[in-house]
Amino acid sequence: MLLIASLGIFIVIQNIISLVFGDDTKTLRTGVVKEGINIFGARITPIQIAIILTSLTLFVITSLILAKTKTGKTIRAVANDPELAIIHGIDTNRVILYTFGIGSALAAVAAILISFDVDMVPSMGFFALMMGVVAVIIGGVGSIPGAAFGGLLLGLAQNLGVWKIHSKWQDSIAFAILLLFLLFKPYGFFGRKVKKVQI
Amino acid sequence: MNYILHIFILICIYIILSISLNLISGYAGLISVAHAAFYGIGAYVVALLALNLGNYFLLNILCAIILAGILGAIIAIPSLRIHDDYFVIATFGFQIIVFGVMNNWVSLTKGPLGIPGIPQPALFGITISSHLQFLIFTGIFAILTFLFTKRLVNSPFGRVLKAIREDEIFALALGKNVIKYKILVFIIGASIASVAGCLYAWYITFIDPTSFTVQESIFILSIVIIGGTGNLWGSVLGAVVLLTIPEILRFLGMPNAIAANVRQILYGSLLVLFMLYRPQGLLGEFAFKRKG
Repeated sequence: MLLIASLGIFIVIQNIISLVFGDDTKTLRTGVVKEGINIFGARITPIQIAIILTSLTLFVITSLILAKTKTGKTIRAVANDPELAIIHGIDTNRVILYTFGIGSALAAVAAILISFDVDMVPSMGFFALMMGVVAVIIGGVGSIPGAAFGGLLLGLAQNLGVWKIHSKWQDSIAFAILLLFLLFKPYGFFGRKVKKVQI
Repeated sequence: MNYILHIFILICIYIILSISLNLISGYAGLISVAHAAFYGIGAYVVALLALNLGNYFLLNILCAIILAGILGAIIAIPSLRIHDDYFVIATFGFQIIVFGVMNNWVSLTKGPLGIPGIPQPALFGITISSHLQFLIFTGIFAILTFLFTKRLVNSPFGRVLKAIREDEIFALALGKNVIKYKILVFIIGASIASVAGCLYAWYITFIDPTSFTVQESIFILSIVIIGGTGNLWGSVLGAVVLLTIPEILRFLGMPNAIAANVRQILYGSLLVLFMLYRPQGLLGEFAFKRKG
């Protein structure tokens, strides 16, 4: 199963990083830490503004690629019905390959931006993995606006939760939300309904 | 000598864990990455009861089994509505929450500091303390687990589990109560895993949340997959192989700091290779199929 194999790769890469670069915290920041810009009483740093702008741009570009280009169409075709895609002469393995490529490249962009904002440790990917998975499922698998919406909702729930609950429970809050979704709305807000019992 | 006995004791503990996960994942086909959670629950229940209420061997182990069983039933409930990857993610979430509780509920579990000084169990007036006594003690539990599970999977109950794994709709059509079987198999698997946790707490006499992380769950799952899904001897073989290979690294003169990483790289890449080229594992009879 692909999921299990990918967990294996996750462990391998994380440990290679910690072997090569060591377990200590690394930083990409240059210069002193400055006070953020004040916008309507909220503090925001320039790098955080860059993160928001980049993620919006990439969101639009990815949506356009999926919706308009031929590549995007084949990706959606494979996701929808792999067998039918093969019948139409689409090389599904190839499509899966470059989908993984695009997805991983996007993750790398996020990683670079995050490294400028907070520092780097070898295990930082784990947090991103968890939050990514939760956001995608809340939003609905197979929907890019869904993923964005899921991410927003998750971030809000986690950070508003800090008001009442200690911040050390953030991970637990995220996964409690995930379990609730899986129980009551397993396909998220925008997801297609997929059932095992299909005859 | 104690070093060799130590490895054998750990192998016995992991045999119990991998057999119980094999029951869930190999026989019933429900892949779970929450096994370290049940393992940890067993360890924490026994440690806290022994330190706060009294070191009663049977009573404490029974409490651990009951709590793990109840939580096992709770984690089984999503499996009725979601399947495959979604279910793996649900168990992943459960694992994170249990780890969060162990790590953050400081007033009860002492959080990241862990619980030291867990008293060793006393059985019929004999306190089990030496390595050899522990090996016999955990060995008995491992053999009991093996015989119990063997009996279980060869019974009509085990055949229904296999039917669910192969074709859930078909099992439903035959009038089998799939829901009941899924919940039952999770209760049994979780209970056995909690017993392994009890043994671990008694043996090491110190527990902290880092022994019960997601990585640990993935490790137990890789024992099951590499050893062979749906075959009890496979789980035994998997535990022996995956626990002895890292020890060989020690004799190659690798420093401890690197050895920990190399160990994880090793089993991670084994997991990937097995999933690609031999998904049924060394001795397995059932392979998790690729979708589509």
